[in-house]
Amino acid sequence: MAEFFRALINTLAVAAIPAMFVVFLGWGILKKVKVYEVFVEGAKEGFTTAVRIIPYLVAMLVAIGIFRASGALELLTRLLAPVTALIGMPPETLSMVLMRPLSGSGSLGVMTELMKVHGPDSLIGIMASTMYGSSETTFYVLAVYFGSVGIKETRHAVPVGLIADVAGMLAAVWVVNLLFR
Amino acid sequence: MLNYIWISLIALGILVAAGSDIADEVGDRYRNGVPLDVRFEVAKRPSPLRATWEGTIVLSEGEFNTHYGPGAADSAVRQGAIISADGSGRSTVVIAVGESSPFRWKEMGRHAAEKDRLTGSVVSMKLGGDGDTASVRMVMEPVRFVKLKAVTAAALDYAATAVQISIGLIGVMALWLGIMKVAEEAGLLKIITRLLAPFTHRLFPDVPPDHPALAAMIMNIAANMLGLNNAATPMGLKAMEELNRLNPRLGTATNAMVTFLAINTGGLVLIPATAIAVRAAAGSANPGIIIGTSIIGSGCATIAGIAASRILQRLPRYRRGMEAGNG
Repeated sequence: MAEFFRALINTLAVAAIPAMFVVFLGWGILKKVKVYEVFVEGAKEGFTTAVRIIPYLVAMLVAIGIFRASGALELLTRLLAPVTALIGMPPETLSMVLMRPLSGSGSLGVMTELMKVHGPDSLIGIMASTMYGSSETTFYVLAVYFGSVGIKETRHAVPVGLIADVAGMLAAVWVVNLLFR
Repeated sequence: MLNYIWISLIALGILVAAGSDIADEVGDRYRNGVPLDVRFEVAKRPSPLRATWEGTIVLSEGEFNTHYGPGAADSAVRQGAIISADGSGRSTVVIAVGESSPFRWKEMGRHAAEKDRLTGSVVSMKLGGDGDTASVRMVMEPVRFVKLKAVTAAALDYAATAVQISIGLIGVMALWLGIMKVAEEAGLLKIITRLLAPFTHRLFPDVPPDHPALAAMIMNIAANMLGLNNAATPMGLKAMEELNRLNPRLGTATNAMVTFLAINTGGLVLIPATAIAVRAAAGSANPGIIIGTSIIGSGCATIAGIAASRILQRLPRYRRGMEAGNG
């Protein structure tokens, strides 16, 4: 069942992009759209959008870089570990929880390291990889998406993103403890 | 809120870095300026063509840890080194740090002026009777302000990375925005929007039911679920652009934008491909075992995010931002 589901999704993922090309462009031709000209017209925006993101992403990544390089994360991990142990979260995975919203490459590194030390099929290995799969790099998404349309006043977006992260991590701890402990 | 988080990341980072550097200095972690006595096993003596001694520095674990403190090494130290005399009679020692080097030297190597190359000056060198070993007294180059230097390097590094990431987006952005434009002109986006209206209307009540933003958001969510990050980001940015057309107050996030971001940061993925790949590479017996748990985790994250965006948008402090623009 799980194997079938995996094969199905993988096939869908491979076929999705070519299928979209065919359907979107084919539909355009059917509707007598000048596909080439319109494509180029739309593609022009790609450059300006990407360039518009730069200042937002620089601001965000520099702050995250300073925070990561300082060792503050390790300090926080040590301070919080006794608290999170109460909910069945192994202290080793706490660095994953703290890193996940900040840095995609950083949390990938933490996950790889935890699996190397504890083994991929240990409770810690399964929990770390579930945590990695349960969330996105919130601050990167915020910077890129809001940056692309010049949003500086983000209102409730940060608390919402963090609530989603916490919920995802708690759910990961709960379900992994339930199934694999 | 982002203001506070941003400044806290920077302030906390610099404070912790400075604190840890001061602690290193006070605790004399790197024994700056303190001579270390080592045995040197000679492999190559100086020749007329080459004025260097090549050999191995030998220290027991205990001797090394007495100098640097407990835990600095976990086994006996055998470290290749080169001792050379310059013209003025001063000798220097160069140590190339490698996999087998003791922890503390590896750590110092990471922060050395030239990475993984420790240098020091030789205070005295006495050749033993057999001529194959020597006792050397040396003082390593001081290591200071490790974390503050790392913080500076990271700030400059990440600034460059941010630009690289943005520039790297140009190609895929152009590709997908072009395709989307064709779909828009052909009326396909309208059709997708209408098909999914009952679902999207509930999720984004502020967006008119036939608005093109909805189609872009749906395609972004679908691409994310399939793990097609290259397609998802351009579609998401297209959606943001469309949502921004409905924004009464440019520069401030709308409710629909925050809900949309909540779905994106929740990261609902049907197959967490990266995590599975790392598990397989680490030799897992069943790398795909986390598919189910990840769907539950990211599902909860997404639902919690959507619920939180709905509840928080009603709070007076977040409503004010929106209404001020209408006045």
